[in-house]
Amino acid sequence: MMVSRSGRAEAPPDTPPATGARRRPDPLRLAAGVLVLILLAAGASTDRFLTLDNARAILASTAFVGITAIGATLVMIAGSAVSLAVSQTATVVAMIFLATQPLGLGTSLLLALLCGVTVTAVQGAVIGYWAANPIVLTIAAGFATGGVATWISDGTTVSAEVPRYDVLNSTPLGLPLAVYVLLAVTALAQWTLRRTTAGRQMYLVGENRAAAHAAGLPVGRVTVVAWAFFGACIGLTGVFLASFNTGANSALGGTLTLDAIAAVLAGGTAIAGGRGSALRTLGGALLISIISDVLLLRGYSTGIQILVKGLLVLAVVLTVHLRSVRGRR
Amino acid sequence: MTARVGVEGLARSFAGVPAVRDLSFTVGAGEIHALCGHNGAGKSTVVKMLSGQIPPDQGRISVDGEPAELRSRRAAQRLGIALVDQELSVVPALTVLDNLLLGDIDAPMLNRRRAAVARCRAVLDEIGLERIDPDRPLSSLSIGERQLVEIARALSQKARLVILDEPTATLSDVESDLVFAAIRRVAARGCAVLYVSHRLAEVLDLCDTVTVLRDGRRIATTPAGELTVGTLIEQMLGEAPHRLAATRPPDPDLGHALRIDHLHVPGRLADFTLTAQAGRIYALAGQLGSGASDVLRALAGLHPQATGSVELHDRALPLRNPVGAARAGVAFVSNDRKSEGLFLDKTVAWNLVATRLPSLGRAGVIRAGRERRAARSLAERSGLAEHRLDDPVLTLSGGNQQKVFVGRCLGRDDVHALLLDEPTRGVDIGGRAAIHRLLRSAADAGLVVLFASTELEELLELGDVIVTLRDGRTVGRYDGDADGATLMRDMTHGVNAT
Amino acid sequence: MIRRWTSRPERLLPTVSLLAVVLAFAGSPVLTGDALTTFDVYNALQGFAQLGLLALALGITMIAGEFDLSVVGTYALGGMLAVQTGQSSPALGVLVAVAAGMLIGAAQGGLIARLRIPSLPVTLATYIALLGLTSAMSGGLSKSYPNSDATLWVDRTVAVVFSPRSLITLAAFLLAALVLGRTRLGRELRAIGGDRRASRVAGVRVDRTVVGLFTVSGALAALGGALLSYSYASANPDPGLQPLILAAVAALLGGVSLAGGRGLPLGLLCGTLSVALLAQIVTTAALPDYTTQLLYAALLLGAIDAPGLRAAIGRLRARVPVRSS
Repeated sequence: MMVSRSGRAEAPPDTPPATGARRRPDPLRLAAGVLVLILLAAGASTDRFLTLDNARAILASTAFVGITAIGATLVMIAGSAVSLAVSQTATVVAMIFLATQPLGLGTSLLLALLCGVTVTAVQGAVIGYWAANPIVLTIAAGFATGGVATWISDGTTVSAEVPRYDVLNSTPLGLPLAVYVLLAVTALAQWTLRRTTAGRQMYLVGENRAAAHAAGLPVGRVTVVAWAFFGACIGLTGVFLASFNTGANSALGGTLTLDAIAAVLAGGTAIAGGRGSALRTLGGALLISIISDVLLLRGYSTGIQILVKGLLVLAVVLTVHLRSVRGRR
Repeated sequence: MTARVGVEGLARSFAGVPAVRDLSFTVGAGEIHALCGHNGAGKSTVVKMLSGQIPPDQGRISVDGEPAELRSRRAAQRLGIALVDQELSVVPALTVLDNLLLGDIDAPMLNRRRAAVARCRAVLDEIGLERIDPDRPLSSLSIGERQLVEIARALSQKARLVILDEPTATLSDVESDLVFAAIRRVAARGCAVLYVSHRLAEVLDLCDTVTVLRDGRRIATTPAGELTVGTLIEQMLGEAPHRLAATRPPDPDLGHALRIDHLHVPGRLADFTLTAQAGRIYALAGQLGSGASDVLRALAGLHPQATGSVELHDRALPLRNPVGAARAGVAFVSNDRKSEGLFLDKTVAWNLVATRLPSLGRAGVIRAGRERRAARSLAERSGLAEHRLDDPVLTLSGGNQQKVFVGRCLGRDDVHALLLDEPTRGVDIGGRAAIHRLLRSAADAGLVVLFASTELEELLELGDVIVTLRDGRTVGRYDGDADGATLMRDMTHGVNAT
Repeated sequence: MIRRWTSRPERLLPTVSLLAVVLAFAGSPVLTGDALTTFDVYNALQGFAQLGLLALALGITMIAGEFDLSVVGTYALGGMLAVQTGQSSPALGVLVAVAAGMLIGAAQGGLIARLRIPSLPVTLATYIALLGLTSAMSGGLSKSYPNSDATLWVDRTVAVVFSPRSLITLAAFLLAALVLGRTRLGRELRAIGGDRRASRVAGVRVDRTVVGLFTVSGALAALGGALLSYSYASANPDPGLQPLILAAVAALLGGVSLAGGRGLPLGLLCGTLSVALLAQIVTTAALPDYTTQLLYAALLLGAIDAPGLRAAIGRLRARVPVRSS
């Protein structure tokens, strides 16, 4: 008896996955292949696409959102889905960074990042230790952070009297510094996920929180680490936004929140957690930038670019889901 | 009696493994028909087919002589088949009233509140829930009361067949008696009742006819009056397994590694006390709701309301805190491998080392070489093929999955007690023997091994000491001197001892 | 009695938040020195009308355990469609918008129900795509609506404090309350949100209900967008994330839980009124902008549901062992 719960009858005989994969091509790889082909064809047939300047433009436009998206990847892998407080946090960080410019670049950078890490890690703690719903919590946190930002800035634009951030706007070897930071953050995140205990535990907690809990894994601590990393990434984006715009008002964060989530999803990281990687997110962010770039060069409106971005994310989400479901059957 | 429901040549298999084979029986109008069998006999599969949750591979089901197509729960309900599922299937977020009306195809599209409340009141009173206000949210009721609500829902529908799958597992004796009375009333109205239960005494008391299944086949259909608990157990088990001497006798020179003193979990387990020696295997025998698995869950820190004192190697074990329990040396293998055990999408290697990551490197960095070696040696130790190390666990058979789960706890200096809830649930015969060997070798290596099981053979094969539980209380304790029939009696209708 | 209320957050939360906000609203003259006028009430109700249908669209999906981010996309698209197709006949514009909203909702509901996929990523993608589509339709610019008769009509004062727009919104809430409170459907919706497996076992047709739900949600969001565009005499292709966040706040204050299975349309109504009144208080009292945000955050603290916190409290209690008699 208890067939369904005992699983005796349900348990599949050992099936090496290789045969299944051979019978039907992996939908994710197939889709990725088709997409790359389309992009190559579209790119090759588009004027000015295959130029160094254009490549630079693509990388530069990826950097700001990309850095935050890498952090969001860790949080999504660790099973906390998404944060809706990203824009506000980046704004506060930017304001602190600008307001503390007189203390020197190093100090202001440190203070700004510290603020990003603290604000975000506290949310992670409530989610990790008390299992609060991340969406509700981050909406509340977003209001609190945004409110405080408007409060201290008095609704005006914060700017630095003695700017010391010029180095952040520099372009070594023709690429903005933010691009290098994006690559460094990606590498660090990828290494953390692959090679450290904390990273490994993020995958485990994200895939099955109940199992991790029952196995005595430190669910709370792992979640806090992921969110702290996320906070540092948001902080970096905030600092770059501040330097780039030479000022910060409450609208600075803009659409950062959703853009970051879109990049993570476009990379194929599953919102349910437990799967994904920093490299994939980098790929997703680049993909969005490249597609927008091709459409832009071909003269399509911003609206069409956003529409295609949405459809791309939808396609990836569905493909990733179908693939994981097929794996289970 | 005319046949209300007939089943003919019913068969169903899962992934090539037959769960029910060529099953035929009929239930007459007004008849209370019991379906009995040991774990894995196929009872739940029959229930699922009759209630429209899964289609049969072969065979016919007829209702009042008409062939019935049961493609969904809804379709089954339209034919008048009501169900009390084995898993609690009421919605805590709704009120009692809403739960009683949920899914009832006769409920009007527009609620007529006064009529509904009146009817609901009558239904609740009938099952002994007089003090429950229909407008209370179900979440404010105890688990037993929720179960009663689900039973009331099934019994109140205008059904031709009511199926009850283990309805009394979480109920007290008084509550069970009320349920039996209600079932008898429903049957007296001409409804057929199919009753699935482990509690043999109540089966004989309540039912008219008993069909026994074993390995998916019908062994016998007998009028209940001609059966005793003993003959019923014989039918279920075939030849009743006998007890050999404990594999490992107590060692008078050795102290007690694990002391459980007055462990208490509100509503589930009362005053459980046990002292255990390292190197021996302790078996907790009890059906669903007996408290056997709650002992293990409480020790693993998974019962937030557990109280009592537990010492492991003379150090207090923190209750109510899974991280603390793991740190103190408890490794827990849950009975729900899928949702509370393995990380199914991850590889065998990842799963094997999941709980020992800190020991595989330094300063939080995992050393790839060391991880690989650890995974390889664990795979060898647990009898898993090395070439499967990089396959996702979900592609393994149940038996191999369980080896991964157990293997995860082995070979760790920091583990002193191994707790397993249903160690071989969903495992084939070969895998089962292999897992039993693993547990024995773990005990030989100096661990305290404590497991809960509902399977007699397993309890008798593996347990050096067997403790039987029922309704949250300890019934008996056997140190190498139990036999199958005694255990079965303790687990199914024992009198409350000590 | 009080115990019964506190144990039912879907009633307690909206009642408390609405009471607090209404008291603050009534007390705001103390701060400003000016007496409240019926115009303030009218304005608050206009704010309610702006948010209401969106909050209802989001709220009903939340009751069923889904989270439909795309409502804001449908809201924007509905507004744009109404403006573009309803120039001569406003009713036609609304009809087109609502039909489009239903179509989008049904398609999404179908995907989510059939594939059993979490709704958040799907509706997020749809949200982005719909904003893109709306923007593409208007060339990225706001589109003005020349039919001033319609604009005047929707915001015309009715019975001192109402307008047709706020009345339509109110009617939608009442209708939802009637359907969810008085029919089988409401029960099934909450059941699906509370426990999908149990609902299936109990015989609820889960997939069909989810598709229907998203269809209705799409229709409501599109209607809200259309009415807003008529009122503003223009359609904005990018409303941003703010309307969604406010709708979510309204739903959460209305006692709806993101975990699903909890919430009542009348609670949603209270939640939405709270949000709208709060914004109005801040305006009439001329308080700085950020106060609204901080107040929302404070109110939301009551809506954060942390099972771990409850378990922690349970652990604390368990530390003082109670001997069962």
